[in-house]
Amino acid sequence: MIDTLLSGQLLFSALVTGSLYALVALGLNLVYGTMRMLNVAHGDLVMLGAYAAFWAFTLAGVSPLWAAPLVAAAGAAFGVALYRGLFRGMLAKVTPSTAGKLEGNSLLLFFGLSILMQNIAALAFTPNNRAYAYLDQVFRIGNVSMTANRLLVLCVAGGVCVAVALFLSRHVAGLAMRAVIERREAASIVGVDVDRVQRLSFAVGFGTAALAGVLMSMLEQFSPFSGFPFTIAGFIVIILGGLGNVTGGLLAALLLGIIETYGVALTSANLRSVLLYGSFVVALLVFPNGLLARRLVTR
Amino acid sequence: MDRPGPLWVGLALAGVAAVALLPVLGNEYLVGTGLTVLMWLALTPSWCVLSRLTGYVSLGHVVFYGLGAYLVVITWQQWPLWLAVPAAGLLAAAFAALVGGPALRVRGPYFVILTFGLAELVKFSIMAAESAMGMAARILFGAPDLLAVYWMMAALALASLGLLAWVSGSRFGHGLRSLRENEEAAETLGVPVVRYKLIAFVLSAAIPGMVGAVMALRSTYFVVGQVFDPMVSVTVIAMALLGGGDGVRGPIFGVLFLALLSELLWAQAPLLYMILLGAILVVFVLLVPDGLIGLFQRWRRKGAAG
Amino acid sequence: MSALLEVEGLGKQFGGLTALSDVNFQVPAGAIVGVMGANGAGKTTLFSLIAGNARPSRGDIRFEGRSIVGLSPDRVCRLGVARTFQIVKPFPAMTVRENLRTAAMFGHAQHRSREAADAATQSVLDEVGLAADAERPASALTLSGQKRLEIARAVATGGRLLMLDEVMAGLTPTEVAQMLDTVRQLQSRRGLTLLVIEHVMRALMELCERIVVLHHGQLIAEGTPAQIGANPQVHSVYFGEAA
Repeated sequence: MIDTLLSGQLLFSALVTGSLYALVALGLNLVYGTMRMLNVAHGDLVMLGAYAAFWAFTLAGVSPLWAAPLVAAAGAAFGVALYRGLFRGMLAKVTPSTAGKLEGNSLLLFFGLSILMQNIAALAFTPNNRAYAYLDQVFRIGNVSMTANRLLVLCVAGGVCVAVALFLSRHVAGLAMRAVIERREAASIVGVDVDRVQRLSFAVGFGTAALAGVLMSMLEQFSPFSGFPFTIAGFIVIILGGLGNVTGGLLAALLLGIIETYGVALTSANLRSVLLYGSFVVALLVFPNGLLARRLVTR
Repeated sequence: MDRPGPLWVGLALAGVAAVALLPVLGNEYLVGTGLTVLMWLALTPSWCVLSRLTGYVSLGHVVFYGLGAYLVVITWQQWPLWLAVPAAGLLAAAFAALVGGPALRVRGPYFVILTFGLAELVKFSIMAAESAMGMAARILFGAPDLLAVYWMMAALALASLGLLAWVSGSRFGHGLRSLRENEEAAETLGVPVVRYKLIAFVLSAAIPGMVGAVMALRSTYFVVGQVFDPMVSVTVIAMALLGGGDGVRGPIFGVLFLALLSELLWAQAPLLYMILLGAILVVFVLLVPDGLIGLFQRWRRKGAAG
Repeated sequence: MSALLEVEGLGKQFGGLTALSDVNFQVPAGAIVGVMGANGAGKTTLFSLIAGNARPSRGDIRFEGRSIVGLSPDRVCRLGVARTFQIVKPFPAMTVRENLRTAAMFGHAQHRSREAADAATQSVLDEVGLAADAERPASALTLSGQKRLEIARAVATGGRLLMLDEVMAGLTPTEVAQMLDTVRQLQSRRGLTLLVIEHVMRALMELCERIVVLHHGQLIAEGTPAQIGANPQVHSVYFGEAA
């Protein structure tokens, strides 16, 4: 037992899971940070990305590696379209008295979208589990055995997260995004094009979700209803890691990957969901305002 | 809130008559449908007591239903029904009292996802417990017949509507609405917000607990995943959203409308029904936030002005 | 006879920031006391501590002789302390009358029924000039109307101590004059004790019998308006050296 626990095997597994969660949480973070809307349909985008990769592979023989950028781009485009079509209008109608309701309402809205996506997918693709085999030959590095696809997921997910983190901290557009996340009204006063930033955050948010789906499809089987646990995981990560805090998100995602992987190893697969939702509930109860409620010093 | 006019009183009486006469005139299928409608009529107003009046939208209403059902199942043949059903309500209320304190400190959309997470946590915990005890599913023998279940549900529906009506018109209800509008201001004006939220939460839990208990009698086969199905929570929200308003009229409308829709679609095309449910949520949040009642009131005001 | 409100050794830290330190003053029953100070001086923090919206780090606050530190805001209100908010917090979807109803039902007055509450608040509506708007939603009022609603709600609680937080801010000179009249009338008709934060000097000087001056969280001066006006320390803080 101790051997298993201390093995590099579990650690690697935890890292892979964590990197995937980090990628998912990143997109969620950006959309929520800039728009203050909890996108509970985020995981379903992951699911759609997975299906896209699946059909590309099984119907056209296109490897997920090539499909990934295309699917991510499609996801980004969908995000922009949704923003333009739906949310820009919603936000424009907000007054100070309805702002509070907007957050709650937008959640129901996203929930409705989630139900729509899951069930349209079930209608179109059947509710059955899907999977495919790609790069799943086992090899060893040191005394850790792994498959190429898992290593690939770790590298791609990790790489994209680092890239976005750099973007947010170095690139002008990224800084603008952070400004909008922290202080919306102030950002628009100093000349940031808030509309553009929001559009960009939807694009990056949805695009990374779709990418995560492609990666996920290589590793496990999925169905139209597989997206939701990713949404939950994404929320746990942003609650723990802090809103708009990308490094915090990375660390929190790794932590979650570790809790899940080691937790399941220590107990049983049955408890995976209990651990996931348990962490979720505890995180929210301990941080009732989502951790990043910086206590504002008021006069 | 205005007193109901003669139109509404008439409709209400017609509704009561329909409920009373259905078992006499209708066949088993109709009574079963009536039971389903009554079930939603019991679940939705109880949800409104918390979520409509305080603005703390719960996406985990099914947890009370599931807990009630589970209690009946595990005490099956050991406890008499007249004990088990109220006990189910008490269990659900106790659960609400326990988690309500910390849970209600969480605001806005976080509360929404917290309640969802709580319901799922309870579900998966019970599933894990059942599988640890070696139970795959439970089978109930000797359940009371459809008619008995029907009348019990009618009583619960009446109780739920009555609860919402009473709370809505009471001083307590005014306090709840005030905290919905602005919690900090309400508290500063003397509304005991922490206590009131908790009371609303506990009140909203008791009836769903008993509803779950009664519905467990309906099916002889108990599956944890089904009695804690999050779609129950979503449907309740959709029905309340559809109807709109703070009082009982909205939920009644929402329930009748969606129940009718589901009857038409469910057997043939369950996925289509779900898609429609999702679409309703989207459309109503975006375009008709005050629900059908709101539309009706606006139309009536325009009529009076024009 | 002890004062209605006593503040003793009051201090408040927010992490590394000291918002208030060692503030001492008393408000006799029936008095109108002003609180003055630059932005960030700690005035609203003082109100929040008294009303129970925040807990002091140090010191005591006594109302009618008993300590109210650590009580929740609703308990403090029921005891008889009412406050307005600098940024108005109306109940937007409720009518003006319903807004006042909350105060009359749950504040110090504790009316049990809708009828009793509405009867009690009618006079407040009249005195504040919102009687005509009674059935309109609060969100439909102008800023000046919402400020009057804020005051009306606080008065409708039936409390003895009324804390007004910058109710003149954003008003035109004419509106300021009207508001001063309204406040004076409310105070004298009901024998209220007022604690008033103001930036609008005219309001402060004309309305208040005594003024306390806060600067960087400390009470640097206390006296009649005339005394404060002549106080060199207050001058240097507000206008720079040499008055």
